[in-house]
Amino acid sequence: MSSSEAHAATGPNAYLAHHFEDIGTQNYAVRLGMWLFLATEVLLFAGLFLGYTVYRWMYPDTFQAAAKLLDLNMGTLNTVVLITSSFTVAWAYHAIKVNEIKKGIGLLVFTIICAFGFLFIKYGEYTHKFHVGLLPGKWYAFTGDGAPPGPANIFFAIYFLTTGLHALHVIIGMTVLVFVLVRTLKGRYHKDNYVGVELGALYWHLVDLVWIFLFPLLYLI
Amino acid sequence: MTAVAQDHANNHSEHAASGEHENHGIQRYVVIYLILLAFTGLTYVTGKMDLGDFNIILAMAIASTKATLVVMFFMHLWDEGSINRLVFVLSVFFAILLIVGVFGDLIFRLPVTMPPGMQH
Amino acid sequence: MDPSSRPQSTDASEAAEPQLPAISYLNQTRGLKSWLITLDHKRIALMYLVLTLVGFLIGGILAMGVRIEHLTPDETIMGANTYNRTFTLHAVAMIFLFMIPAIPGIFGNFLLPLMLGAKDVAFPRLNLLSVYVYVAGAALLVTSMATGGVDTGWTFYAPYSLSTPAELFPALMGVFIIGFSSILTGLNFIVTIHTMRPRGMTWMRMPLFVWGSYATSVIQILATPVIGLTAFITGIERVFGFGFFDPAKGGDPILFQHMFWFYSHPAVYIMILPAMGVISETVAAFSRKNVFGYSMVAYSSLGIAFVGFFAWGHHLYLSGQSSMDAGAFGIVSMLVGVFTAIKVFNWIGTLYRGSISLKTPFLYVCGFLYFVVFGGMTGIVFSTVSLDVFWHDTLFVVAHFHYIMVGATLMGFLAALHYWFPKLFGRMYHEGWGMVSAAFIIVGLSTTFIPMFFLGNMGAPRRYYMYAADGQSLNVAATAGAVLTAMGFVTIAIYLIYAIKNGKVAGDNPWGASGLEWKTSSPPPTENFHTTPIVDEDPYTYRKKGEEAEHVVI
Repeated sequence: MSSSEAHAATGPNAYLAHHFEDIGTQNYAVRLGMWLFLATEVLLFAGLFLGYTVYRWMYPDTFQAAAKLLDLNMGTLNTVVLITSSFTVAWAYHAIKVNEIKKGIGLLVFTIICAFGFLFIKYGEYTHKFHVGLLPGKWYAFTGDGAPPGPANIFFAIYFLTTGLHALHVIIGMTVLVFVLVRTLKGRYHKDNYVGVELGALYWHLVDLVWIFLFPLLYLI
Repeated sequence: MTAVAQDHANNHSEHAASGEHENHGIQRYVVIYLILLAFTGLTYVTGKMDLGDFNIILAMAIASTKATLVVMFFMHLWDEGSINRLVFVLSVFFAILLIVGVFGDLIFRLPVTMPPGMQH
Repeated sequence: MDPSSRPQSTDASEAAEPQLPAISYLNQTRGLKSWLITLDHKRIALMYLVLTLVGFLIGGILAMGVRIEHLTPDETIMGANTYNRTFTLHAVAMIFLFMIPAIPGIFGNFLLPLMLGAKDVAFPRLNLLSVYVYVAGAALLVTSMATGGVDTGWTFYAPYSLSTPAELFPALMGVFIIGFSSILTGLNFIVTIHTMRPRGMTWMRMPLFVWGSYATSVIQILATPVIGLTAFITGIERVFGFGFFDPAKGGDPILFQHMFWFYSHPAVYIMILPAMGVISETVAAFSRKNVFGYSMVAYSSLGIAFVGFFAWGHHLYLSGQSSMDAGAFGIVSMLVGVFTAIKVFNWIGTLYRGSISLKTPFLYVCGFLYFVVFGGMTGIVFSTVSLDVFWHDTLFVVAHFHYIMVGATLMGFLAALHYWFPKLFGRMYHEGWGMVSAAFIIVGLSTTFIPMFFLGNMGAPRRYYMYAADGQSLNVAATAGAVLTAMGFVTIAIYLIYAIKNGKVAGDNPWGASGLEWKTSSPPPTENFHTTPIVDEDPYTYRKKGEEAEHVVI
């Protein structure tokens, strides 16, 4: 191994860290590490889904009525936006892997735009809710039509906690993707070194996964 | 199996699982994307209908299907080795355990231990 | 003369006058900056050593505060509010600053790559990040202490934690952030163990400390996010009043307990599994015998990790939880005892007919076995709901978990510290003082907590500022035990710090132990091994006189 390091390493081995035996092991390790990290994110959101389950069971009428106060069309649009961004980021990874760098860059940019779109729509929803008093806990002050029976503040506590934490992850995911984009622009990611793109994409897919469950639970049922 | 062969098998499976995905073109991504959109439409339409308790079950079934497709194909678990799959499955398992364990408590609790205003 | 290229044997008497290697990981690069931005897992381990011991010191001082207060039934040195803060912060400091990070952070970091013949852990930069995340979280926790402290008990139960005037927010955020450090460490270890084993080291040829670290890391990954979320939500509650756990707003305080204990029960296995791994290593080394039932001990680590996740409801027996759940949790909680018993019997089987070497680490092994058996058995009886109804929130609980946590885990820590001290620093400590301190600590801990078993059984509640006058003699005995224990710790600190610079040079393998870490110099060079080892033998290679070494063909 040290003899190949004596010449300038080319191809995938240029990116080999000194403590790994070979690039295959390094990529395997890095992917495993990312999946472990995703496991922690799954467990993090699990707690919030637990909260949803518990309070939905306790206050089914409240939850059903409160869900109608959410904007279903905006929620569906957000779902489509995220699914599309998942598709484009997966495509971007593939493009970079086969060295179609320009296409990859374009797709990454599109994904990031989708992320902005999601946040923009969310911002619109949030401001509307602030405006009419559909807020959690002690701030709940809604008096309009369709006011839910029972402690609607609990529904909105769940709503803001889950979508808030999710939005935070969208922002983080966006930052990660920008980071990947910059590295691709600088020529660091290409057919010999693309695992970093995959890791960024994996995080983004997780963001999409959480929303796939949040959307029906909050908006639809 | 001798230690030699065992060891080669270990190394081999680990390298196969290093996940250097074969290049399979983007058709599968396109197909999955369209299926996801279709399911989203389905869940939108059925969500508006009133099916009683079945609403939740159907919505969760559709969501789980969508999630499985994203995990398997967009996140490449379909191609990858067993350890990443195990990690993901275990995380989902323990997430479900958390919910089931607490829910099991909830449904058998005495009413006096529940918050006031409970609607059940 | 390159020490690590000398022919290795497991016979300690062969080494003539050992030499300290001129260059090792300690002095390869110099200056504060080279330590602060190091990527070397061994230096990171030493950083954890210093940091966690500071946490231990804080927790210990607070413990002495509690014990001194309890010398008299009424006020002794502090008022009731201060007392609440003292015992809360004692627990928070001990658990989050020491018990959870110490053995993995110090010995896991130092030893895993060495035991695996690797150059470093899988993600050295994440390793360094975990140290700084720990520092950030610890700083927040210390800040919360400085700004008046937390008085809810380390369990932060709602609804009191939502309304208490104490400054909870820094403590909650500190817990949340330190959780990340734990996750990063666990992540690193799992990937290291999966991908960096040397040629020839199959899973069933890994040292048992590695198995213990693996099981611990699985728990760290799966459980820690839930406490992070719980602390986060509680913090949001306090600031924004969301009503998530507040019954006045429709929330459910029992939900808090479920979420809290879903992490905190597996967390106790994060604390004990690494210690058990240490015991496996030391019990073999000091009885000069291979670990009896290696595969069962290995699998039981995974067993404890797995079953530990199903047991959290046993903390909620008296909270209003349904009796259905209580019964289910009770049965599952007992299963953990099966796996622990498997380990204990296998360790005893290792000792049996071994060639016992009565050194300080071995005293801690004996202490561990004593504390884990009694602490563990009292744990089993707790899982019986009808008994817990009486003992819940009494000093019996306190005695039980201190026996396990302080008794067993701390014994494991001290055994590790003494066993691997020569590897870390290249020098030996003074055996005589080591034995004396071990005796002080084991006797001291017993004297502290046995009275609490009696007091608790008589109904004395925990976390109470005052107690009934007829409990005073037992309380005084407990405080005396605490003083003995403290004396033991102070002595250890003195002779170990002294030994770092002035101890006798240890040589590569002063104990004559087996394991890859002993096949390199003490202290090791930065790159751990001069040539990557190939493993062609079982993890424990102690053999009787005349027996041939078994080598497996690769």
